[in-house]
Amino acid sequence: MEEQSTGPEVLEFATFYIGDALCGIDILRIQEINKQVKVTWTPQGPDYVLGVLNLRGRIVTVIDLGRKLGLSPIESGKNNRNIIVESQDEHIGLMVDSISDVLIAESDRIEAAPANIGGLQGSFFDGVYKTERNLIGILNVDDVLKE
Amino acid sequence: MIFEDDETLQMYVEESLEHLSTIENDLLIIEESGANIDEDLVNNVFRAAHSIKGGAGFMGLTGIKELAHWLENILGMMRSREMIPTPSIVSNLLNGFDKLEELINNIEQSNEIDIEEHLTTLKGLTEDSLPEEEKAAVTTMKDILNMNGQRVFTVIELDILQHKKQGKFLYLLEYDMINDIQRKGTTPMAVISGLQNSGVILESRIDIGAVGLLTTDVPTRIPFLVLFASLVEPKIAPTLADIDASQITEIIDEMIVKPEEGVGLVQDKVSKIVEVAAPAAAPPPPEPVAAAPPPPPPPPPPPPPSSPPKPKSAAAAAEAQKPKPEVKQAAPQTSLRVNVSLLDTLMNLAGEMVLSRNQLIQSISDANPRAQEAACQKIDLVTSELQEAIMRTRMQSINNVFSKFPRVVRDLAKSLKKEIDLRMEGKEVELDKTIIEAISDPLTHLVRNSVDHGIETPDVRHALGKNATGKVLLRAYHEAGQVNIEIEDDGGGLDPDKLSLKALEKGLLNEQQLDEMSEKEKHKLIFLPGFSTAAEVTDVSGRGVGMDVVKTNLDKLGGELDIESNVGSGTLIRIKLPLTLAIIPSQIIEVGSEKYAIPQVNLSELLRIPPSQLKEKIEKVGGAEVVRLRGNLLPLVNLADVLDIPRTYNDPETGEVMPERRMQVADRRSKSSPLHKGSPRSILKTDEDDYDRTVAKKDRRFHSGSAINIAVVTAGTFKYGLVVDRLRDSEEIVVKPLGRHLKDCQGYAGATIMGDGKVALILDVAGVAKMSELTSMESSDRVQEVARDARAAEKARQDRASLLLFRNDPEEQFSVPIGLVERIERINVDDIEAVGGKRVIQYRGGSLPLISLAEVTEVKPIPEKKQLEVIVFRLTGKEVGLLASPPVDAVDTAIAIDSNTLKQAGIIGSTIIGEHTTLMVDIFEVARLFNPEWFDKEENDQISASGKQSTILFAEDSNFFRKQVKGFLEDDGYIILEARDGQVAWDILQEKHKEIDIILTDLEMPNMDGFELTEKVKGDDRYNHFTVIALTSLASDENMAKGKASGIDNYMIKLEREKLLECLNGYLS
Repeated sequence: MEEQSTGPEVLEFATFYIGDALCGIDILRIQEINKQVKVTWTPQGPDYVLGVLNLRGRIVTVIDLGRKLGLSPIESGKNNRNIIVESQDEHIGLMVDSISDVLIAESDRIEAAPANIGGLQGSFFDGVYKTERNLIGILNVDDVLKE
Repeated sequence: MIFEDDETLQMYVEESLEHLSTIENDLLIIEESGANIDEDLVNNVFRAAHSIKGGAGFMGLTGIKELAHWLENILGMMRSREMIPTPSIVSNLLNGFDKLEELINNIEQSNEIDIEEHLTTLKGLTEDSLPEEEKAAVTTMKDILNMNGQRVFTVIELDILQHKKQGKFLYLLEYDMINDIQRKGTTPMAVISGLQNSGVILESRIDIGAVGLLTTDVPTRIPFLVLFASLVEPKIAPTLADIDASQITEIIDEMIVKPEEGVGLVQDKVSKIVEVAAPAAAPPPPEPVAAAPPPPPPPPPPPPPSSPPKPKSAAAAAEAQKPKPEVKQAAPQTSLRVNVSLLDTLMNLAGEMVLSRNQLIQSISDANPRAQEAACQKIDLVTSELQEAIMRTRMQSINNVFSKFPRVVRDLAKSLKKEIDLRMEGKEVELDKTIIEAISDPLTHLVRNSVDHGIETPDVRHALGKNATGKVLLRAYHEAGQVNIEIEDDGGGLDPDKLSLKALEKGLLNEQQLDEMSEKEKHKLIFLPGFSTAAEVTDVSGRGVGMDVVKTNLDKLGGELDIESNVGSGTLIRIKLPLTLAIIPSQIIEVGSEKYAIPQVNLSELLRIPPSQLKEKIEKVGGAEVVRLRGNLLPLVNLADVLDIPRTYNDPETGEVMPERRMQVADRRSKSSPLHKGSPRSILKTDEDDYDRTVAKKDRRFHSGSAINIAVVTAGTFKYGLVVDRLRDSEEIVVKPLGRHLKDCQGYAGATIMGDGKVALILDVAGVAKMSELTSMESSDRVQEVARDARAAEKARQDRASLLLFRNDPEEQFSVPIGLVERIERINVDDIEAVGGKRVIQYRGGSLPLISLAEVTEVKPIPEKKQLEVIVFRLTGKEVGLLASPPVDAVDTAIAIDSNTLKQAGIIGSTIIGEHTTLMVDIFEVARLFNPEWFDKEENDQISASGKQSTILFAEDSNFFRKQVKGFLEDDGYIILEARDGQVAWDILQEKHKEIDIILTDLEMPNMDGFELTEKVKGDDRYNHFTVIALTSLASDENMAKGKASGIDNYMIKLEREKLLECLNGYLS
């Protein structure tokens, strides 16, 4: 996984919107990105759990990333995407408002996360990356998915 | 250092564990035979220890090697009859092998694990058995030098002596890993086992020191040194191994020196070099010499603080992947042995599957429906077969669990100084791997319990006239698609009275609850949380986990537990387990837009109540909705309400409407659910509405849709009706676990994937019952048990009684035995006075206290009315009025009292009279609840007034009648000795016949009926002076004649209070 390079490490992030906030996840953590599929609602589950879906025979818990991060719930729409990540030997789907570009970032340009990014709690983030127009919060998947 | 070739290491571990698995039983047999040593058996164990040692030496597992070595030593001495296997020696060996197993299980850390204690013990044992002059050899070390005078091995002198004594020759074999092993296509392990056929390997190691420094040229040889003892003479020594004669050196005495005398490398130094280079030099990497030693791996640099995001997540990931340092817990098995023929079958089926798929694809592209159908059929067939074959790979014999019990029982019996003979039957019974793993602990607990609490000590057994050796029988067998496991002992059995006392002491249950329990129920008390039968907590069974944990664990597996026990003769615990958990038949139901699966094991039947019958079948009693099912009351739970599902939700397409859903859910919460609205009509109505909106949109005629669908489910022994929207097919489903975010939902047992690819949740019916707060499971188990007993008793006979029916709210019907009623008065509400917080009415010159049922029990109050009925009772010499709304009615009816479902304070139970559920009022308790003081004081007055207190022995099996009759008799100043059947009455009579004045008995009772009791009483000289009065619900001529024959003095009708009192008075005065 580690490349033998002398310069700063180059990392790739898949970026997406939760409300107005632009966030990224290390692309290597992502299994796949799905469109809306049939989600089976799980009554009595935590409010951030949208339900479960069948991903080729695996039961995947789908999480409303907006709610999970303490924002307003993801609004349903055509651009909704389900980002399937693997965490603790389990596949989990993260429902986001819409998906954006893949960001190629040099590791030394990622700065430490402030306490608060656009209303999001800083502790969920590994850092932030500044582009000309945007500030992208790099999410730490494992922290976010803690129960 | 540890040899780091994973594959070889893994193989070694597996082989070693396999060796170890047989050792335990062998050792136990060795112990049994004592001095009469079975050499073959000892040899078996010896060889096992030896193989383990051999491999360990090669792989640098010094801890394992040393321990195995000393174990082997002792076994060797046993074999040559220098030592006799006493129980204490065998215990030490067992402990040693246990430790060895631990080391092998934690092979990575094995060198660090402290084994000193074991070594000291084993060395001590060896020393004890040696002749005086050899004792020193145990601790003396000797160096073995090679031809060049370099030290190659350090061994214990004793080893050399032992082998010399047996006339063996010592050889130093020098293999070359590259030329002699790798190139010849063999492996070091194979070489070692080959050698063991012709002699004994004392030591072995790879001499990395000889490879040369890592910086020099690529080495051409890696020496593998073996110190070997064999009977083979030096002349023919070269035939020993497949190596050049020059590589075999006979070790002569000059080559054995005291430590430090030889020149050469210090052991530590060797091991250090080895540590670094070993991974590289590891055999059998496929690439030959050229690749042998790569540059020494640089020390891992501390992770540089490169990018901010990376380290954190990487570290976290590493953290997650790192195995927990404490590996002591037996890790679940990661590999599995499968029969080759089974594997072939699987391969075959997989091939068939591929073929069928190709056919299907072909037929689809050809658009040939007939071929498609054929292909589908074939796939269906192959899949079923495949499923079955794969299930078989998971099946393991229960012996995997059973095999550890001889040891467990032996150790335990020893420490408890008991003698126990353990027998096991049905070892070959197969169960799914996951079940095998999961039952291991509960079963161990049960076996330990049998040994610890069940079997008595030999003295006690002797005194009881039993064989001093206790028997424990473990039996497994198939029955009706389930596996039964039984644990039977011939020990003391469970004493229901002791158990009750204990439960009482611990405050788990109150006296009344215990009073109503059958013996079997009392046995089950041991499964209550917080209950332990051992008088004192021993370190054996009392380890903080109780039988309740055993029960919980078995419940999780869908297992059932049953106890049969007789005081003095033993206990039988039976566990019923499903064969597999992975694929289960289940009933699919639908609520709202989602499908749910109910495991078939939990389902007892499906009910569909047409709208026309709703009113009469579903009733609401005491705040809960119940359905009347063949005369029994079944509590109802609406799944939609429990899960908070809007039942009519109608957008299964996407998750888009989630926020909307939440709103609906919230809305719903503020509304009362249809089931709680009150009248049964509400169900009907809501359901119709639902259907109007969903199914029947297009089809208004779909009238049957408004029927109610109920799945009758059982959780443990508790039964309830689950109201669902629609019932679907039954299907075989594959159980899949839910993710960790949903672990807290107790209503689900998992999830499954339906034919349409959508996920359906599997309901945990016990969890649903808990969520609906239907009742706590522990008590409901009990309740159900009582109900079952009660029903069984009812079948045998039904009591008839004259009852007074009355109502408060028109919806709720009550009854009291008419015999208790003095009279009924109609009063004007305006005449009621409220004085001193109580309501009274002036009546015949005095004040009659008035009680309303709603004041003391949870029933609906009396609606506002001008006139009310007052049912007047005479209690404790005082008159009390019970308010009721008119009209009241008297019936003479057969009553089957359900004393569980609707029981509460003041209500003794329920029965069905005239198509209505009727609550039976316990007037004594009502009055007591209303004003406890009446009873304390008045009772005493009564006693002093009547002068002499008469004692009545009263046998009656029905709780209801016993309480009622006892109530009014006590009221009249009698002392009552209660007995729940004739047998109990007989026992009481023998014990307390001096106190008893008269006997009152029911006729039909379990165990011993009234006739038999009377015959016994009248037939015994000591007791035949007693008057026996039979209480019966209906005195038939036939009964009368039978009664006369058996000696019954008089017949009285139950609950005819006045007559009975009169009659008693007549006999007693």
